Amino acid sequence: MAEDALETRGRQVTRSNLARSEQFNGWAFVMPALVLLGIFMVYPILWSLWMSFQVGRGMNFSFGGLANIIRLTQDPVFLRALSNTMLFLAVQVPIMLILALLCASALNDSKLWGRGFFRTAIFLPCVTSLVAYAVVFKSMFAQDGILNQMLMGLNFISGPIPWFSDPFWAKAVIISAITWRWTGYNMIFYLAAMQNIDRSIYEAARIDGVPAWARFWYITVPMLKPVILFTTVISTIGTLQLFDEPNLLTQGGPSDSTLTLSMYIYNLSFRFMPSFGYAATVSYVIVVLVGILSFLQFLAARDRRR
Amino acid sequence: MSSIALRWRRTLAVALTGVSLFSVTAASAAEITVWCWDPNFNGATMEEAFSRYQAEHPDDTINVVIFDKAAMEQKLQAQLASGTTEGLPDIVLIEDYRAQKYLQSFPGAFEPLNDHVDYSTFAPYKVELATVNGQTYSLPFDSGVTGYFYRSDLMEEAGYTAEDLENITWDRLIEIGVDVKEKTGETLLPIDPNEAGWLRIMMQSAGTWYFDAEGNATIVDNPAIKAALETYQRLAAADISKPVSGWTEYTGSFTSGDTISTYSGVWMTATIKSNPDQSGNWGVAPIPRLDGIESSVNASNLGGSSWYVLSSAPQKDMAIDFLAEIWGKDVDFYQKILVDQGALGSLMAAREGEAYQASDEFFGGQPVWQNFSTWLSEIPSVNYGIFTEEADAAVVAQIPAITGGGNIDEIIAAIDAQVRQQIQ
Repeated sequence: MAEDALETRGRQVTRSNLARSEQFNGWAFVMPALVLLGIFMVYPILWSLWMSFQVGRGMNFSFGGLANIIRLTQDPVFLRALSNTMLFLAVQVPIMLILALLCASALNDSKLWGRGFFRTAIFLPCVTSLVAYAVVFKSMFAQDGILNQMLMGLNFISGPIPWFSDPFWAKAVIISAITWRWTGYNMIFYLAAMQNIDRSIYEAARIDGVPAWARFWYITVPMLKPVILFTTVISTIGTLQLFDEPNLLTQGGPSDSTLTLSMYIYNLSFRFMPSFGYAATVSYVIVVLVGILSFLQFLAARDRRR
Repeated sequence: MSSIALRWRRTLAVALTGVSLFSVTAASAAEITVWCWDPNFNGATMEEAFSRYQAEHPDDTINVVIFDKAAMEQKLQAQLASGTTEGLPDIVLIEDYRAQKYLQSFPGAFEPLNDHVDYSTFAPYKVELATVNGQTYSLPFDSGVTGYFYRSDLMEEAGYTAEDLENITWDRLIEIGVDVKEKTGETLLPIDPNEAGWLRIMMQSAGTWYFDAEGNATIVDNPAIKAALETYQRLAAADISKPVSGWTEYTGSFTSGDTISTYSGVWMTATIKSNPDQSGNWGVAPIPRLDGIESSVNASNLGGSSWYVLSSAPQKDMAIDFLAEIWGKDVDFYQKILVDQGALGSLMAAREGEAYQASDEFFGGQPVWQNFSTWLSEIPSVNYGIFTEEADAAVVAQIPAITGGGNIDEIIAAIDAQVRQQIQ
């Protein structure tokens, strides 16, 4: 008995030693990553939160309490940037995701001729250099660019469309540029998910005489729901942080009609008299928006599943 | 054993000599780095200035780094804000509108040059722009005195000579533009709806600005600003301009002949003259003045910039010495850059040089430099303050409302509201 107890205790000791050393080793392995994460992620995030309560010009900071938040509500430029960003989000994300879904289901058809080529062609924009494609877009959409000439040659329009100097058309250019760039990226997610849908479901549906549109709507879309949710959240975040295209194509113009929140943050810090505190406050607006919208999207997806 | 020790000692001796040699060469041959934004203009003048300095200091070299202007300003601001000075140049070019912003928001980042440069030899308004608390930080460079550049051959076709464009108002220019378009079908001006240089020109011609000397916004109840916005509205309505987007399209429109004139600073001369086959077909008139504004004159300013030495500069002493020796004294150098780059410097003594007296065949034999010098002395002085960029953005935001025929009083109120909000 005593021997048994001793043995058990010994085993326990070794086990707890082992557990402890495993735990220690585990922490040691993740430590470098954790330390880096802490220095380059957690610390800046906390620091920017602290900054968002600071006021002052340049490097002269003082604590301002809620002054920056009050400033937000009275700032016409911020409200303009916010409404532009929300408009891009509301128009561009649905267009892009529906397009991506349609492309994916077309390309998923194994009988389609040359689908490898089309898949590559649609995916290619998101691996091209951003600056290079911005230059091409700028020349295509110029007043006497190829697009205006083509539309005029086909007699669709009588005079050139002022793509970059009209607020409406400038927004249209930005939306088409982002859509062109990111449709292929989202399509790849849908394609990958479609490969995982069991063929027998479609087979059964076909035997029961379900038409093609209904197979798409009642089988493909529900089966893709987690991926659709994922791409919606990712695209929402990406569009809320939109900076590159407006900065390269329109510089936020004409008259702030394509100014986004991220561009406004940049202007506040690096173009205007630097007010880093207020810029940090605006960046927290994006954080809050991303949080709220992602939560709503998860909520919507969950409700539908029931 | 001893041979090894000997070899060690010898190696060490060689190494030490090498180190000392290296440090000697490092002290006598140095490279200064300069940031600026135009390879044909300020970059080229900087290279020319240094080649003169090199005659006395043959081992020294210069590295002129050219950026896009906005990119350079934003890079400088980002780096000054970050607090790390590594990678900053020795000398940087800053546009006059932004000088006070940098000097006031980053105290200690720039080096005062009062002990090295005799500022009484420079145009006073340029010195004033770079002075904070009695310390002056710049080596004043080019003036932005404005002129109205036009294609004299095409103007003549429509029946307008140089005299017809002398000392006119903006409204007279619009009339001329309408008439020219009727007679020849040519478009008068390129206009970039994302830019407010026209307002800065019109304001300064009347001796006023977005802000007063204390930095308070003076946009509401400012008759000159109201007149300027109304003039721009009439200009847009007259259908004599071509909309352009960005600098390249803007300059391309008049160098290619799509439009027949532009209003700009004297530094535009280099761009206009870059097309040698148009020699003799250009003319320069004084900038138009505002109708109905007593204080408005036919002279104004657009842009202009100065050189600044950073306090953190690795070759600070050499950079200061170079600026003081060449840019601060060499009258002959200013003649050269005037002829080659059209750079109208701010060193007053340079105005007496022969290049300033000469006429220019490209402009049909007009004494353009003398004219610019005369207009320069007539520019009303204003205080740019530290928020010109914010005010410009507020104006640009209202340009569609202006060109769309909106009520000017409401537009001014909107600009004022945005500026007040931005300058806190």
